[in-house]
Parts: sequence; C-alpha cells; structure tokens
Amino acid sequence: MKAQALLSLAIFLGSASVLRAESPKLTEADFFEKQVRPVLVEHCYQCHGNGKTKGGLSLTSREVMLKGGDSGPAVVPSDPAGSLLIQAIRYEGETRMPPKKKMPDHDIAVLTTWVQRGAPWPASPAGGDVLRTPGAAISGEDRAFWAFQPIADPPLPSLKAPADWARKPLDHFLLAKLEAQGLRPVRPADKQTLLRRVTFDLTGLPPAPDEIAAFLNDNSPNAYEKVVDRLLSSPHYGERWARHWLDLARYGEDQAHSFQPRLFPYGYRYRDWVVQAFNNDMPYDSFIVEQIAGDLIKEGDPVAHKAALGFFSLGPHYYLDGAARKFVEATELDDRIDTLTRGFLALTVSCARCHDHKFDPIAQSDYYSLAGVFQSTKYEEMPLGPPDVIERYNKSQKEIRAFETKIKELVKTQGKGQGDKKIEDAAKQKLASMRRELNEMKKKAPPSPEMVHTLGEGQAADMHVYLRGNPDKEGDVAPRRFLRILAGDNPPPFKQGSGRLELAKAIASPKNPLTARVLVNRVWQYHFGRGIVGTPSNFGKLGERPTHPELLDHLATRFIASGWSIKTLHREILLSATYRMSCDHDEHNSATDPSNRWLWRMNRQRLDVEAWRDSLLAVSGELDQHIGGPPADIGNVNNKRRTLYGKISRHNLDSLLRLFDFPDPNITSDARPVTIVPLQQLFVLNSDFMIARARSLAAKLTTEEKDDALRIRKAFMRVYGRNASEREIEMGLSFLGNAEKTSLTPWEQYAQVLLSANEFTFVD
Amino acid sequence: MFTPQLPCMTRRQMLCSLGNGFGALGLASVLAAEGVLGSTAKASGASNPLAPKAPHFRPRARRVIFLFMNGGPSQVDTFDPKPALQKYAGQSKEGTTRQKAAGKLMPSPFRFQKYGQSGIEVSELYPQVARCIDEICVIRSMHTNTPNHEPSLLMMNSGETQPTRPSMGSWLTYGLGSENQNLPGYVVLCPGKPVVGPQLWSNSFLPGIYQGTHINNTRVDPQSVIEHVANRYMPRGAQRRQLDLLQQMNAVHLQERVRDNQLEARIASLEMAFRMQTEAQEAFDLSRETTDTRRRYGEGQFANACLIARRLAERGVRMTQVYYGNGQPWDDHADILNHRNHARQSDQPIAALLQDLKARGLFDETLVIWGGEFGRTPASEGSKGRDHNSKGFSMWLAGGGVKGGYVHGATDEFGSTAVEKKVHVHDLHATILHLLGIDHERLTFRYSGRDFRLTDVYGEVVRDILA
Repeated sequence: MKAQALLSLAIFLGSASVLRAESPKLTEADFFEKQVRPVLVEHCYQCHGNGKTKGGLSLTSREVMLKGGDSGPAVVPSDPAGSLLIQAIRYEGETRMPPKKKMPDHDIAVLTTWVQRGAPWPASPAGGDVLRTPGAAISGEDRAFWAFQPIADPPLPSLKAPADWARKPLDHFLLAKLEAQGLRPVRPADKQTLLRRVTFDLTGLPPAPDEIAAFLNDNSPNAYEKVVDRLLSSPHYGERWARHWLDLARYGEDQAHSFQPRLFPYGYRYRDWVVQAFNNDMPYDSFIVEQIAGDLIKEGDPVAHKAALGFFSLGPHYYLDGAARKFVEATELDDRIDTLTRGFLALTVSCARCHDHKFDPIAQSDYYSLAGVFQSTKYEEMPLGPPDVIERYNKSQKEIRAFETKIKELVKTQGKGQGDKKIEDAAKQKLASMRRELNEMKKKAPPSPEMVHTLGEGQAADMHVYLRGNPDKEGDVAPRRFLRILAGDNPPPFKQGSGRLELAKAIASPKNPLTARVLVNRVWQYHFGRGIVGTPSNFGKLGERPTHPELLDHLATRFIASGWSIKTLHREILLSATYRMSCDHDEHNSATDPSNRWLWRMNRQRLDVEAWRDSLLAVSGELDQHIGGPPADIGNVNNKRRTLYGKISRHNLDSLLRLFDFPDPNITSDARPVTIVPLQQLFVLNSDFMIARARSLAAKLTTEEKDDALRIRKAFMRVYGRNASEREIEMGLSFLGNAEKTSLTPWEQYAQVLLSANEFTFVD
Repeated sequence: MFTPQLPCMTRRQMLCSLGNGFGALGLASVLAAEGVLGSTAKASGASNPLAPKAPHFRPRARRVIFLFMNGGPSQVDTFDPKPALQKYAGQSKEGTTRQKAAGKLMPSPFRFQKYGQSGIEVSELYPQVARCIDEICVIRSMHTNTPNHEPSLLMMNSGETQPTRPSMGSWLTYGLGSENQNLPGYVVLCPGKPVVGPQLWSNSFLPGIYQGTHINNTRVDPQSVIEHVANRYMPRGAQRRQLDLLQQMNAVHLQERVRDNQLEARIASLEMAFRMQTEAQEAFDLSRETTDTRRRYGEGQFANACLIARRLAERGVRMTQVYYGNGQPWDDHADILNHRNHARQSDQPIAALLQDLKARGLFDETLVIWGGEFGRTPASEGSKGRDHNSKGFSMWLAGGGVKGGYVHGATDEFGSTAVEKKVHVHDLHATILHLLGIDHERLTFRYSGRDFRLTDVYGEVVRDILA
C-alpha cells in the first residue's frame, strides 16, 4: 500500500522530488541503523570498533561478531541467552560489559531484540544506497561521487541531426539527450504564450496589454531578447526571485511558540535586502558571504551588511525550556546548519548531529565543526537613527535591565525569609513597589528606534561532539573548520573569531564543487518546474542524480566565469530553444517519456500563491506596486500590496498562504508542492477577496467600454493576454444576457468567472 | 514524474461532456455519474491526495477523536488514586516540583470510588465518564520529556519538542487519506487557541493539504466555521449558473491541451467545493440534532464540540481533535479545586459522546483519546495548587481496538513518577497508528535527506492494551 500511496501523491505533486517510494528493506535497515548501530557505537566501539579489538573482539560486522574474540563467538543469531554479548551487557556472568557502567535497559533491550531477530546487518538499504561504516575515513570512492568531483567544462556533444534547432550552447546538451532517447523537441511556443511565460517567470506578474501589443508588433530578430532584458531590469524581478530565496531561508517574522517569542518587527529589512541583491545582480559569491558574514566585511554599507545576516538572525529561536535548555540551544544550532548546508551546498549535514552521516562522507565531528562557528556567534539588534537618539535609547534600556536584575535578586533572597512572616511581608511590599517603578521606567523610556535583527561575534570557542546528540555527553573537541569532504582530510582550523568569514569564503569559492552547481540547478528548477537534479537541496547519495550532468557543469562553469551573475544565467536559459518550446503534447515522445524527464516540451506550471494573488490585483487594476517596507496583513481584503510584503508568521501563517502551498516558515523549503483541493476552490468561489477583485475588474471594463462584446474582448486581453474567440464571446454574452440579479451584477459575476478559470491559474 | 489520468472516466467521455455546452448541473451530474465525485471513496487516487488509502494491515479503528485537556489535568485527582498522599500529607518529597523548592504532598480533595465490573477507581470529578469505565482503558504510566507546556504540547501532537515536525493528524491523513472528500480530513476544534497554537496541527514538511483545519467553536455558526464555506453574494442557483460558465470555459481550455491531470483535477475540485458548501455546513449544524441528543450532551462549548466530533466521525473525518478550551485551562497552579469546573464542563459531554458513538455503531471503529500534554505534581504548589509533572500522568483510550475496563501501568506510591509499564508519548503514538492499521516505522516521509516518521527513532506499540 505504501508504495501506492506515495505514488499517487507523487503524481499529484507533479514533481516527485519530495517523495520517493521506499524499499521494504529500509525497515530492517532502519531498526539497525537507528537503534542497534548507535548503541554499538556508543557503548562498545571504544574498545571493539574503530580498529580496536580488545580481547580479540571486534563488533564492526556480523561476520566478526559470529567469529568472536578470545572467549568465543560473541553472538549466536536468534539466541540472546546463548550469546556472550548479551550475557555480558546484562551483567549476568563474569564478563561484564561495558566494564565501567551497565548500559541503560533500553539499549540492552535493543541489542537483545536484534540478536533475537537473527542479528541482521543490512549492508545496503533502498536502491543500493551504501551505508557508511561509522568512523570510516573519507575514501577515494567517496571523492569519486559525482557531486564532489570538480566542476568540468565539457565540450559540446556531437549531434546526429543538424543543430539548427539550438539557439544556445545549452541546447546542444539537451538535444543530445533527447536524441539518445529517441525523442524530438516539440514546436516552439507562440509569441503570446512565450511572453506570458517569461513575464510570470521573471516578475511574477502577467504582461500588460500594451506590452503584449509591443512584442507582437516587433518583428526584429531580437524582439524576444529585448523583452528578456526589459524584464530582467524591472524592479519587480527582484521581488519575484527574492521570494524563491526566502523559501530556502525559511524567512519568518516571529516564532512558532506562544510564550515570550522573539519577534522580528524589522525582519523585512532582510527581505528587502534580498530583493535589492537580485535587482542589482549582486554576484552570487558576495550574496553568500554577506549572508553568512556581512558584519565582518569592512568595505561597503554596514547597515546593508548587517541586514543581510537575516538569513541566520531571523531563524527560529525556540521556546527556551528551562528543563532542557542545552538541548533547545543545540536544536537551534541544528536549524542554522540545516539551512546553511542544504541551502548553499545541498548537503544534509544536519543528519550528522547524532552520529556520522549514514550515507554521505560527513562525520559527526564535521557537524560540530560547523556548529562551533554558530555557537561562537550571537544574535544582535542594531538600532538605527541619529547617534544621540540611539545612545539615549541604549542608556535607558541598560537601566531597565539593571533594575530587572535587582528585582530578580530580591525575589531570590525573599525565599530565604521563609517562616518569618514580617520579613516576608516587607519584602513582598518592596517587590511590589519596585515592579511598579519598573513599569514606570518602561513607560517613560524612549521608544525603540528602528533596528536591524542581525548577528555579531560571540565568544569564539570550539564545541565538543555531543555523543548521540546528547548535550550532556561530550565527546572529542571538533575544531571549527570546513567540511572535510570539501576541504581535504585535515582542513586548517578557522582562525578569525567565530570563523564565519572563513566559512563563507569556503562556500563561495569557485573551487567548491557544490556551490555553483546547486545555484544553477535551483534557477533551472524555478524556470522549468524541475531541477536537473530533482532533489535541489540534497546532492548526496540519497538525492537524485542529475539527468543532464554535462549540462549542469556547463552552466555552472559559465556561471562562475560570468562573475557569478544570476541575471546572465537567466539570459542563458531564457534565450535557449529549450525554454522556448511549447507545452504541446506528442504521442511518440509521451510513450517513451511520459513525465517529460528529458524535456521534450515545456512543463505547464500552476502559479504559486504570490503570483496568483498579485495577478488578480494586477488585472483588476488595483495592484500597489511600490517596493519594500514593513509587512502588511494579507488577510485584509483591502491590502493591495504584492504578496511578498505580507506578514510571514511562523506562529499563525496566513490562511490564504497556507491553503495554496506556501511552505512552513519554520523549516527550509526547496520546492513547493502543487496541491489542488476543494478548500482552495472555496476561496475562489466565495471569498471577499475574490469578489472585491471581480467588482473592480467589472467596474473598470464597464466604464472603459460601452458594448458588451468589446468589454469581453478587452477582458480576455487583460486577464489572459490573448484575444477572445468568437465562441468565447458568445458564451459570455449569453451568460450576461441571462444572469440572475443578485447582489453582484452580471458583469461582476462574469468577471469572477474570468478570474477563477484554469487559464488564469496555469501558465503554458 | 508521471502523467496520470482520471481513471474513472476516459478523456473522450470527459471532453465530450465538457466541450458541448452542457446546461445547468451538466458537469456535476456527469462527473457524479462517472464516479469521479461522490463523497466517499470514489474520488480518484491519482488526482486526489486525500483519497482513502489502504493501511499497512487490518485497522482496529478508522478514525480518532482526541479530547485534549490542555493545560495538564492532574492524575491524582482524576484517574490515578493515591491514598498514600493522605497518609503523608504535608510531608516533603524531593523532586516533586520543577524549579521551586519541593512542595508538600497534598492529598486529592476529591473522593475516589470504584466503578463498573472492572472496579476501576475514578474520582468524583468524572462520575458520568466513570460509568463508562468498562469501555475505557486507563494508562496510568504516561511520561513525556519536559514539564513545560510548549515543548510538551508539541511532543504530544507531533512527537518532537520543537516546531519542526508534522502533527499526528497530518501523519494520519497523509497515511490514510480521508473518507469524505467534502470535509477536511483533519479537524481541530478549539474555542480560541491552545498555547503554541497552529503549529500543533501543522503539516510542517508534509504537503499543505494535510494540515489540520482549525475551527473556532466559540460560537458554532455553520456558515462561517469553515473559511469561505458560504457565498454571501449569490443564491445557490445563480452560483451554479456561474460555475457552469466557468466549467465550460475550463473545458474549452482543456480541449486545446492534451493530457493534463492538473487541469482536470482542478475542474473536479471546483465541483467538490460547490458540493462541500452544503455538506460542510450541514456537518456543523447542530440544530439538526434532536433536543434529546442535545440534552444528553449538555450545554457549553465543549459539549457542542463533542457533538460536532460525533457528526464528523459519522461523516468519515479521519481525525478530530477537541481542545478543552482557549489557552491552558487545566493549568491549575493556584487551586486544584478549579479542576472541578473543567470536569463539570467535560464529564457529561464525554460520557454522552461515548454512549452516542456506541448507540450508532461507531464506537468500535472510533478511537477516543482523553488527556493533556502532561500531568501534575502530587505535591502542592503554593497551598492549594499543583505544578506541572512530566514524569508520570494518566491518559485514557476507548473504542476501536482497545481493552475496556483495563488499567495499564502505574505510578509510584504518590503518583509522581511512572514506574510500571511506562508509556512514553512515542509509545502512545506508535499504538495509535497501530490501531489505525499503520506500522509506525513504515509511515515515513523523506525530507532533508532522511526518512522522517511520527515516532522519530522511538516508540513501541503498547500491546497490552490492545483488545
């Protein structure tokens, strides 16, 4: 059933990247890997693993266990009572292991169950993924894995057919694969379709009627190129592409929990920084360095640098559970590392928080090498404004804090008067008056100036490995340094403060085999609906392999050579013949490649919630186009700003966003699932928002034109960017002529239909 | 990636029926006749991720009603009698409260009494529930990770103390789909919001369709319980006409595009939404219940919520979670006697729910769960209250697949720590999934390079409580 359930879901999502049917083998592997192996590693391997064989015994494989050590076989499969290993850990006989302290009952039970089950030692779970031996050094085989190979600059492949179809070098790579599969590209999209597609892709908005007319009337050979350049220099380009990045950055302006959450009322400064970075075509390597270590860059605008750090400073700050404080802090570090390594490197380093990575060459100590960097960094708020205002504010805040400390101390000593009622009462009164005073101080304090939520350097220190992720069980020191698989077996420790700047530069290096590939793949994915690597944030063993590895490297090489220019990369892709294909069906191709894995046509895509809502406002003539600034509630029907500027709450995400597949801002997200459910259509049919847009569109059309047929023509051009057919005009006229009188006029009802149609939601 | 089709209808049939300008009700009736719509299992799996899916093995229950006593009810005052507290009243016991100096042991102000054939003791707070005790399985050995509301609420709902995992209801709808396509598969009723809030019913990294639908039942108005469920602008007939035009346009659009499951899915989805307007409103319309039924449940928000839960259970909703109240009402630090009010509000409705499910033949296939995020200390906080306690507390299960009249596990002599047959929240989750026919180790979702599950790497099915 499982595979079937997943299959139907995967079908539905369009992109199978988030889901994969699993082999039943993984269950056994799961038990072993998640329960048995960790116990062995924690309690036994100090003496019987990692090359050590005390008493002649190694416990690193089933074979050596069966063979046993000086006292004989350690394990008799399916016979726990008869297995020396179990006797020893139960402290039953003379040999008691581990010698210093008996394992917890749970761990003993795990090993007993495992032996009872026949001591299975799965070598290879689902799909031939090879499990790594914990503690194993990085091997040549590890380095040979495609993602860790240096980026190549492959020559153009030779083609069977003449390559006149190709418009850009990348088309050669694509066509070669199509030929190899016996597929042929479908015809190019017509001009109207192409304009609509590229306008949505780059700005998240539909083309305006005059833009359509201009393009259709421009017969010059570079007409399309001009459009691409116009759109790339539009300020709305940054708004569209910033949102893709904000999904990865799990951008949010508050916290999920209720008690004393840390709020980010000025979080939008980071959002706006990202918009500007895209609009200015900030080189991607700088884009990386600024978000990791902006505060440590000397030249440039310090406020912008500080804002860029929102990538981390606006991360979740979890509920500080006094009973588990260290664990909570460790989980915050986990968030930072997960977002960092999946976002920039498509590596799942956070899998190595509790043990060595099961599949990729990332040791647990690698995780703590990075965690140490963020442990040595602290959250800061940087007030903005004239120096005297800031100084007054800081001074009063300092006084308030000092007074709060005083109160806390008094509360502590108060307990000591226990028993003596007089002393207790006096203390209580004093406390009450101090609290009143504190409230007064807070009231009178100068208001908080605007600020930037940012990072600063903390106490630089290495972390210890937390054994099995338990912060109370420290293992060896993990020096702050970069990942060994990317930086060599013994990378030098970071020397400057926390090490953030060195970390940032190691990621943003042209020598890093992942960084450019990962970004190129993401841009490809947002244009085509699927990446060359189908798992955009996981290039590891459990991720998918690239469908077009040479193409990926070709683009990555050119990307670095262009000075990490994302706009140049867009141009490269958008001007290709590949991008300009239609969405046409083809029986022959479909029989071989029904999922369009080899891109013989363009994928039809549903607008994401931002583009959809923004377009509703745009075609009804209401969109407020100004850029940047504080967020506004999307739930407000009269909020006509772009969706990008809505409040993004981790605690209570706007219902429209959540309904239409906006990702949970508590965690990084690399792709949006496409779901189609009735609750969404209820919004379309009944919401005040839709009705307001319909009314506005109807009002505009009815004042601009006198004649219904003309109005319908105009409406189709506005809403769908094309002419209405005679039949469509007929359908419209017939509806308008017969529509019932309700609190909506016939034209308002009709306008709502236009805005609700599939054609408005899906882009060819 | 795949290119599936609506399996219940050929493309030719679909296009014929769509393309030729059918009249009012045209598409809806065509789709219904072809079995594409229909409120039960007919919606096609390929186009609908909420379509019912087969479990791993034969389920004992098909749905869950989780009565969530948010704030943390005290076990020694409800389902876990501790006479020793009387004997040692006023004495100190180390480690019974969280941060503060250990309080003094405080006997329950409520009398316990044996009920039913099983003779299980229940306090006077829950006399009516107690009369159903032979149908109830009390777990007295629950424990969780930390004695603080937010992490414990998250743990009970998602198996993790931080807001980074899908909720149990999301996992259930992901694993099993929903049996009614005209209602959300996972409904959360709370007058206002519990502490933490929506993250407790979050889909997290699962697709958004698996999130819980929160219904603020402060006031039950069928027109507004589900967002946008009613059209305030047009009568139904006019809306049908409008929808017919919309579907006609969609059909023309589809005709020009060969093979697109997404376009077809949205066409079907619009029809479902149209039907949902009436069916969903009806599901929440308590005026359709007889006065006798209304009387049996009693009055108040919680009583209404229990009755809605039964209506939703009848209609195949996979999981309904009923929060007792806004905020954390059971959090009686100051005076444990306040528990009396909460019990008064919940005793009759819960008993009525159990009996009603039974009378309608739904009891054996519905799993009812009662409990909070943790319990409370046997020692007092201040002079009359009790503090949070994560080390030992009680919950109970009833209905599909669990032993009635059965007590599982025990706390120590004061009721502060689970000592016998301990059941962690992960174990409870594993057991709930098991009862619904799911192997908790096999219900996984790959995210961030790992196969995640509700029970993380933990959880053992508590086999002793299975009927």
